[in-house]
Amino acid sequence: MTTPSVAVEVKHLFKTYKGATSPAVNNISFSIESKSIFGLLGPNGAGKTTTISILCGLIQPSKGDVALLGLSLKNNLEEIKQRIGIVPQEIALYPALTAYENLRYIGNMYGLKGSALKKTISEHLEIVGLQAHANSRVETFSGGMKRRINLIAGILHQPEILFLDEPTVGVDVQSRNLITEHLRLLNKQGCTIIYTSHLMEEAENLCSDITIVDNGEIIISGKPKQLITENHTENLEQLFLKLTGKKIRD
Amino acid sequence: MLRLFSTIQKELILLFRDRGGLAIMFLMPVAMITIMALIQDAPFRDYQELKIPLLLVNNDKGNLGTTIEAGLKESKIFEITKQNSDEAAVKKIIKGGNYEIGIIIPPNATQLLNEKVNQFVSKKLSDVGLSDSTPTRVNNTPEELKLLIFFSPETKKSFKASILSSLKQSTSKLETQTLLTYFSKELNKENTEIKTEQRMDDFINFDEVNTVETPKEALLLNSVQHNVPAWTIFGMFFIVISMSGSIIKERDDGSYTRLLTMPGSYITVLAGKITAYLFICLTQCFLMLMVGIYLLPHLGLPQLVIGNSIPAIILTALFTGLAATGYGVMVGTLFRTHQQSSTFGAVSVVILAALGGIWVPVYVMPDAIRMFSEFSPLYWALSAFHKIFLNEGNVVSVLPYLVKLIAFFGCTILTAFAINKIRKA
Repeated sequence: MTTPSVAVEVKHLFKTYKGATSPAVNNISFSIESKSIFGLLGPNGAGKTTTISILCGLIQPSKGDVALLGLSLKNNLEEIKQRIGIVPQEIALYPALTAYENLRYIGNMYGLKGSALKKTISEHLEIVGLQAHANSRVETFSGGMKRRINLIAGILHQPEILFLDEPTVGVDVQSRNLITEHLRLLNKQGCTIIYTSHLMEEAENLCSDITIVDNGEIIISGKPKQLITENHTENLEQLFLKLTGKKIRD
Repeated sequence: MLRLFSTIQKELILLFRDRGGLAIMFLMPVAMITIMALIQDAPFRDYQELKIPLLLVNNDKGNLGTTIEAGLKESKIFEITKQNSDEAAVKKIIKGGNYEIGIIIPPNATQLLNEKVNQFVSKKLSDVGLSDSTPTRVNNTPEELKLLIFFSPETKKSFKASILSSLKQSTSKLETQTLLTYFSKELNKENTEIKTEQRMDDFINFDEVNTVETPKEALLLNSVQHNVPAWTIFGMFFIVISMSGSIIKERDDGSYTRLLTMPGSYITVLAGKITAYLFICLTQCFLMLMVGIYLLPHLGLPQLVIGNSIPAIILTALFTGLAATGYGVMVGTLFRTHQQSSTFGAVSVVILAALGGIWVPVYVMPDAIRMFSEFSPLYWALSAFHKIFLNEGNVVSVLPYLVKLIAFFGCTILTAFAINKIRKA
């Protein structure tokens, strides 16, 4: 299966929730190159989660077209689901199951089984330093360990596009470093990474492209270094505050 | 199939590791069955082997007093205490509440009966010209024969009526017998021969025919036959709390979202969850029936008799389990927090159980409440089990209940999907 040069193509996307007075996503269009690390950034309530949810097929857009890996989301949802991976912000694992049992279940849900699955799980656990804890219940893990398992759960089936929602929130520096290193490795192996975060320093270092959204609209897109220079700021955080303001969002 | 089996495996591991949940699912019904069967054993026996305490003051030395006393004894529904008391004393005793009924048969009751009958016969024969002599006693109107009956103030009207009817029945035979004797005496004077020394037989007899032809003795609803299926069903429906909690937890921790982003339909995941919980329900049912068959007899209770149709039992358990798990899915989808779902789940199951005749049989409920029982899935399940256990029911005879249970399952699942669809919009 060949990966097209554009991993994600979004055209005139709208989403208005039932009963809402204004759209959560208001006519946004963007494209994401294959094998890039794309940061979708914005303050709370900007429309990031809604956009990601539409791209993952979790919610239907009110209007607009979305294509992933050259396939229309509307008509090829099942195939797209098999080729994308999700790492939600929540620790979407079963605490009473062991790390291995959690990963086996998720692998099975993607159609992986037998010794191949066992080998994949073992390799990933080794990379994130949790092989020794494979048979321990997730409920006994620290926050950082849970985050690492949460990441593996999204990449076991070797997705071509990986969506990550705040993958390093609330973890120690070492775990965060391990996660971002692993994401870079995945990207080198050809995985397109779409990432949301409030950690601007992390986004600046990790992302090859970023888009900042606010009030459901795109306010800027481009390469982080280029945008920082063009807007006469020192770093991404300053650029972010300059564009979205210092007013606290709920 | 991999997705289905994997979900079943995951759910079962989670269930078996939740010791508190397991205790609720298995120990609670065992405790309820045992405790309720023991508590209700005596009332059930009372209901079936009811002995009404009766105080009898028989002042008569003749046939009438003896016949009434014998009739009361034959009925086997009275616990008779004989005593010599006057009217005021009997009244006081009955009001005191130790006896439900008091009867005073006056002195010379037999003699009074004979006099009344004799006077009646002589008059009738005289009227048709068959008697040449009018009895001398005819002119003296005999004293009225009155049996005094005292009822406790709490006695229901229908019960009073049935007691009076029973007394009337036992005395009417004697009245007829006496009447015939006197007719015979008078007619013998006319050389007509009627043998009255023979005991008069009933012209119409009633035979109680048992409607159930069990291989063993005819089975009545006893404490075990009621409580074992009743609390088994209750336990199966209590799975609602655990199941709805599991659905809410998955939704809260993001697993539900992750599952939705995976290939394949969520229906497969839901089917896996339902299958795992259904397995628990069937295991519960099997174990509870074993408790009824093997454990309860050791506690001095009757053994549970399960009828002759194993397929009907399996299908009833299966469909009851489906109704319970469907309800769990609906409650888990409807409510947003585990606290809400567990409170609603527990309260609603208790209400449905009360309406469905789990606590006390439906036939002892008032009509107004009984009307609502028809809408309780626990009632359908219990009725199906009673049909199999008590009425030699089979798959065909429990089919109407099974249809209702599966329809309930369908409605709950559709409701859950509708709620999800509305939320997704």
